Amino acid sequence: MIRRPVMPWRSLALAALAASVLGAPLSAAPRQEQGAGAEQAGGESEKKDDAKAGEKGEEHWFAVLGGEVHTGTGAVLRGATVLAKNGKVTAIGYDLDVPPEAKTLDAKGMLVYPGIVAISSQGLIGNSGSDFEDTIDPFNSRMILGLAAGITTTGAAGTAVKLKRFSVQGAVVRDKIFTTLSWSGRNPAGKRSLREKFQKTSEYLRQFREWEEKVKRDKELKEPAKKDVDTTILSILKGETTAKFVANDRDDLLGIARLAEEFGFRPVIEGCVEGWTVADELGRAGAFAVVTPRERRPKDEQLAAPAGSSIENASILHKAGVQVAVVPASEGVDLGGLVGRDIMHITIEADFAVRGGLPEDAALASITTVPARILGISHRVGSLEVGKDCDLIVTDGDLLHYRTFVQYTVVDGKLVYDKEKELFFAHIRPRPAALAPEKKLDKGESETKPAEEKAGEEKAKEVEKKEEPKKEKKEEDK
Amino acid sequence: MVLARDADTNMSLSILLLAFPLALGASPRPADPSASSDLLAIRVGRAETAAKGTIEHAVILVEGGKIVTIGEDLAVERGIPIVDKPGWVAMPGLVDAYSRLGLDGEGGEDNSPEVRAFREIYPGAEEYQEVVKYGVTTLGLYPAGNGIPGQAVVVRPLGKTPEEMLIQDPAYLKVILRAASSSKKLVRDGFKKADEYAEKEKKAREKWEKDQEAKKKKAPAKKEEKPEEKKGEEKKDEGKEEAKPEAKEEKPPAKEEVFVPPEPDPKIKPFLDLRAGKLHALFSISSAGEYLHLLDALGKEKLSFDLRIPLSRDSDIFYVEDKKTYDLEVDGIGDRKCRVVIEPMLTLHPGTMRQRNPAMELMRAGAKVVFVPRNDALADLKAWLPNVGEIVGAGLDRQAALRALTIEPATLLGVDSRLGSLEKGKDANIVFLSGDPFQPSTRIQAVMLEGRFVFGEVKP
Repeated sequence: MIRRPVMPWRSLALAALAASVLGAPLSAAPRQEQGAGAEQAGGESEKKDDAKAGEKGEEHWFAVLGGEVHTGTGAVLRGATVLAKNGKVTAIGYDLDVPPEAKTLDAKGMLVYPGIVAISSQGLIGNSGSDFEDTIDPFNSRMILGLAAGITTTGAAGTAVKLKRFSVQGAVVRDKIFTTLSWSGRNPAGKRSLREKFQKTSEYLRQFREWEEKVKRDKELKEPAKKDVDTTILSILKGETTAKFVANDRDDLLGIARLAEEFGFRPVIEGCVEGWTVADELGRAGAFAVVTPRERRPKDEQLAAPAGSSIENASILHKAGVQVAVVPASEGVDLGGLVGRDIMHITIEADFAVRGGLPEDAALASITTVPARILGISHRVGSLEVGKDCDLIVTDGDLLHYRTFVQYTVVDGKLVYDKEKELFFAHIRPRPAALAPEKKLDKGESETKPAEEKAGEEKAKEVEKKEEPKKEKKEEDK
Repeated sequence: MVLARDADTNMSLSILLLAFPLALGASPRPADPSASSDLLAIRVGRAETAAKGTIEHAVILVEGGKIVTIGEDLAVERGIPIVDKPGWVAMPGLVDAYSRLGLDGEGGEDNSPEVRAFREIYPGAEEYQEVVKYGVTTLGLYPAGNGIPGQAVVVRPLGKTPEEMLIQDPAYLKVILRAASSSKKLVRDGFKKADEYAEKEKKAREKWEKDQEAKKKKAPAKKEEKPEEKKGEEKKDEGKEEAKPEAKEEKPPAKEEVFVPPEPDPKIKPFLDLRAGKLHALFSISSAGEYLHLLDALGKEKLSFDLRIPLSRDSDIFYVEDKKTYDLEVDGIGDRKCRVVIEPMLTLHPGTMRQRNPAMELMRAGAKVVFVPRNDALADLKAWLPNVGEIVGAGLDRQAALRALTIEPATLLGVDSRLGSLEKGKDANIVFLSGDPFQPSTRIQAVMLEGRFVFGEVKP
């Protein structure tokens, strides 16, 4: 990551705070007071959460201290604290009042990023491909490896699921996200029929909307007939579900872009290898592209127009306004076969997009905010903002650097992965002592300790004092 | 007279009492008095009681299939035949609480909680004669099948008819829980239907009570008796509903006025019994994740249950041993003090070669371990004791290992009051070994099942 010139601490903090306030208007200000005062600052949704937690009588605080916080919205806060309550971020900034009961994670000397969102993966949440609420395996080794890669949320079979370790409840964030459609030059009849479906459905929708307006005045008016209306297409046009295509050929991509522009929906296109040749059209159609930058494909030499794969694909698409998400070639945790091209190397895959010219912030977005947006869950995950889920990773270096390891992963305000404790990578470049700084005290200074400990120590001292005179007496006896 | 060095006065008293008829006969010969009783004293080098620790130089007095007394160096009345084996070690007969030995049926439909394994028993199976040689004196047999296969039965591996073999029926309800919607639905639906039945019963009762009142108004002659009866009824209403019909039977005057609850569906009854504490649930899960799914499926249902966890080489069950270690949102297996039915084996931390000892770890977390043979086959039953020995060698507490083979499985089966340990009044199910039970060189010398030697040539 290109470092910004070092700014004076305070001004940077204020700038960054302002950014986070803009991102989420609710209670971004640091907690001034503990207890009731601070809660009043919270929005209504937060109050509801409080009520829920209140039933159990529990409040879970979690704080990541002193890391270089990359919020994923553009802001970088050096040495800032991320504070979360019951799994939601309540504040990001400096000089926060962290409740004494909060569990804390010291991130000094390390970097804090939002948890990675893998647009699709296999096996991270168990062996099943559906009914994740009932089938998730939260103790799965592949889940640990996914968390080790920094992934905190994944798409699987049209569902967005969190890598919520140690719990089977509340893992599914959203389901029935996609409707997969086919648009291929090899099947002209299919293309024709799909277009017809869109035509008829959009015609119906237009009539329906018109009727909706008119029926307010004339209650006798009949509802337009639903004849020939495809319900899945209707839900796409209404924006209830997202249309997904798997397409790589230039012609297909063009066709999809035109279809989307004509009928007014935003398609998600997986593959999109030749997308760079028609980037403007895709950008105008508001398409999302899910690309694998290392995907290679030769050009059909019979074609005059540019075709085939390009290392610049992600970069060109991004410049044209296409939202680019990156996914590796293999969606599973693959320890054989495509080594280094499995879901564990999602950051490395994003690196290849950077190599092709994609700006680094866009590369970070391609594995965080963009996939969250595609999955329709960007109100909860993808970036570190007040009010969103506290899903974050702590790394020992730039997230996109090949040398970087994820040191800690946090999901819903709970530490679920610690590189030193899991046996997979603990031995590779063990966490340097410098990253877990020792506290240096000057001569004559003592460490400030919580009130309870102090009280305990004082008691101990008193006991010692009482015992001392006895010893002296004994010595005298001797 | 008999003199006991035992500190337990009760024990010596009982010996006195027992010996009393012999003394009356004043005959030095055992022939006459022992004709009416089958008293037998066994003197061994050491007895592992499983319930009350180890007794050195133990004497066990057996009569009528029961242990009359057990103690250190008890003196034995002349005339009582003695088996004197100072080199032997005695321990309670092994209890295999989770087995399908001698059964070859196949499971029917997935949801069959009403099925009883008792119906499947084939007393002629050769396995039963074989298994006593390995020290197994009690078997918990479960019905075959997936989902909810049904209710297990406790038997002795001896007898010509199923009734002769029977010790207790049912023992527990076996429920297999998998991380799958269909499996969790079976459990949820079971309790949902139990709710529906409870509602139905409540309505029927209300209707019956109304009818009763109407009758009383019609017949005001017995005014004095009625209020008393009513009081009694009200009291019982506060208690459990199921208990009511039985309690009524005790009261002969209220003959025709007994509320008969509607007959529950046989598939629902086991769930009602689970709630009422009449039946015990044994959930079979195969991973830590499935433990959480089990608690999720049970929801607010407050049920004490035990677990069967078939251990695999890389079992991940340690994740849910307790709430604290991995900061779980729910109570762990140890926190719930569950009994856990597992094989005596060491596992590897998933993805690594680091060894783990699930039995030891579960026990440390607060759970109670019940050992079963590694497989449900005769060869594994033969290797059962040595296999447990390996776990003891890897750090498991010796006494805990003994309990996991005897009294804990007996408790799981609900027969701990009559067997599972070497104690006064319990069934004389005793295994005699040539040495320490967990030494590989130790051999089983004799096996006693309810007072009879079923293996080994032993003569007083």
